[in-house]
Amino acid sequence: MIKVTALAKSYGNRPILSDVRAEFSSGHLTSLIGPNGAGKSTLLMLIARLLAPTSGIITIDGTDIASLAVGDYAKRVATLRQRPDCNMRLSVEELVTFGRFPHSRGRLTAEDRGAVNEAIAFLSLEPLRNALIDEISGGQRQMAFLAMTIAQETQCLLLDEPLNNLDMKHAVQIMQALRTLCDELGRTVIAVIHDINFAANYSDHIVAMKDGAVHAAGSVSEVVTESGLGELYGLDLEIVERQQGCLCNYFTQKGKTR
Amino acid sequence: MLVALVGIAALSIFFVFVGSGLDFAYIIPRRLTKLAAMIVGGIAVGLSSIVFQTIAGNRILTPAVMGYEAVYLLLQALLVLILGTSSLMVLGDYGNFLASILMMVAYSLVIHHWLFKGPQLDAGQPLLVGLVLTMVIGTFTQFVQLRISPGEFAIFQGFSLISFDRVEPVQLLWSTGFVAVVCLAGSRSLAVLDLMALGRDQALSLGVDYQRHVRLLLGLIAVLVAVSTSLIGPTAFMGIFVANLAYACARSERHRVTLPLGCLIAIGMFLVAQLSVEHVFNYRTTVGILINLACGAWFLALTLRFRDIA
Ligand SMILES: Nc1ncnc2c1ncn2[C@@H]1O[C@H](COP(=O)(O)OP(=O)(O)OP(=O)(O)O)[C@@H](O)[C@H]1O
Ligand SMILES: [Mg+2]
Repeated sequence: MIKVTALAKSYGNRPILSDVRAEFSSGHLTSLIGPNGAGKSTLLMLIARLLAPTSGIITIDGTDIASLAVGDYAKRVATLRQRPDCNMRLSVEELVTFGRFPHSRGRLTAEDRGAVNEAIAFLSLEPLRNALIDEISGGQRQMAFLAMTIAQETQCLLLDEPLNNLDMKHAVQIMQALRTLCDELGRTVIAVIHDINFAANYSDHIVAMKDGAVHAAGSVSEVVTESGLGELYGLDLEIVERQQGCLCNYFTQKGKTR
Repeated sequence: MLVALVGIAALSIFFVFVGSGLDFAYIIPRRLTKLAAMIVGGIAVGLSSIVFQTIAGNRILTPAVMGYEAVYLLLQALLVLILGTSSLMVLGDYGNFLASILMMVAYSLVIHHWLFKGPQLDAGQPLLVGLVLTMVIGTFTQFVQLRISPGEFAIFQGFSLISFDRVEPVQLLWSTGFVAVVCLAGSRSLAVLDLMALGRDQALSLGVDYQRHVRLLLGLIAVLVAVSTSLIGPTAFMGIFVANLAYACARSERHRVTLPLGCLIAIGMFLVAQLSVEHVFNYRTTVGILINLACGAWFLALTLRFRDIA
């Protein structure tokens, strides 16, 4: 379990996050939602230790993350950034192999190769295995980076907008893959997801952020309500419950957006 | 890679034996010393440029562009000014060499603080600052030069262009030792370098202690630059040329391919320049001028193209 207590982050005098408290339970998929600039990426990068908090504590299974060595932390938590870029000419397979670095430290074993193959197969990237990262589409690159984080085989995955650049089919495929990771492999997944319908239909918990603080947190049915989301985004919306799941319609507005 | 290796072997044999009259007493040992200097210098230039570009995340920056060599020349000018012509005697080969290494490491700390600690800069900014630094330090050096006597000036002149003629066997031995130690220390970072090329965040999340490696590698680069500059002189834009040619020629951009290839390219350039001076230009030009001319022109082309992209 990852627990965030009284977390604050500011750049200079400008507070970005203040007094953030949240819990992310093990073996579950938690979605982080909220408007642009709410501080979702900042929170995720603080958990990933890519940013240092101004104050506050983050613990993983009761241990303060600041006390763990970089190398050990990478065996427990894998991170996919919002806009992963790569200015190196690499094949998809080489990139995914980098995910094994925390375990292999550069010397690949048979086990490492197995994990790489599994991650590639898991996201159906077989046909792109030898393609170069800078010669595939944005969505395919996103998938390749996700495969790298999966190959890392960590208990916890932090994914910043994993659906970025993906078409409907691939987005569904990724969300199903994330569910498999939680349900069958017991992984903890925290993902920033902008598409409220994906968040509502695939997550166990939702943490909604607004203006650098947690606006609402809880199970899907607790957070995804017309009034709650309306207030979060400042939009009129309608939630339609269907047999296959719920559907949030925010496409038509009565007046100009608030 | 194999082609490069064979090419260099052929050039080396040509360089050592052609026109030597098979004089094993003087000419051939002398040429072998020069050849060794080219190899050690080439390795130092190739490694330092490519590794620096990787940690800077920028393909038009090299230690030379960031002012390392200018600082070296300033140090030499100051030494000549303070200690006079005897500076070489007083400090001896090692004294000067160690002073240079210390100076380079100190300068690395400045670069480290400014380039890697602050907020992320866009690609063009460090280049501009580097060139301005080089110019400012160069002007200081000129200022010092004007205060030294012509005799001292002649000594100093010797430092400021690439040349293999002044290489002394003892110094060569030291340099080889240092480069070997650096390679040994750096070889454990070879896999890490590939990850560092992905940037700080990606490297950190894959378990690389980024800050520690940046410090270690900048330290090793400082030693390499001190070795190459004191052994064969300032290489100016050569590093950029070598590194980018290595990226272009290599099929993979993994460091275990680009680093050796970069070294081979640097050695090859030294050999070609030296052979051209001896056989084409009949000593009417120097290796330094040839290399600066070729690489400077290429650097200009690169910055122009870089401006188009940025
Ligand atoms: N390096 C930085 N320096 C100063 N301010 C920053 C920095 N990075 C982010 N911010 C500010 O922090 C706030 C939160 O940014 P963050 O990236 O966490 O938002 P987000 O919720 O991920 O938004 P999005 O949905 O657009 O990705 C923004 O107002 C942004 O301007
Ligand atoms: Mg974000």
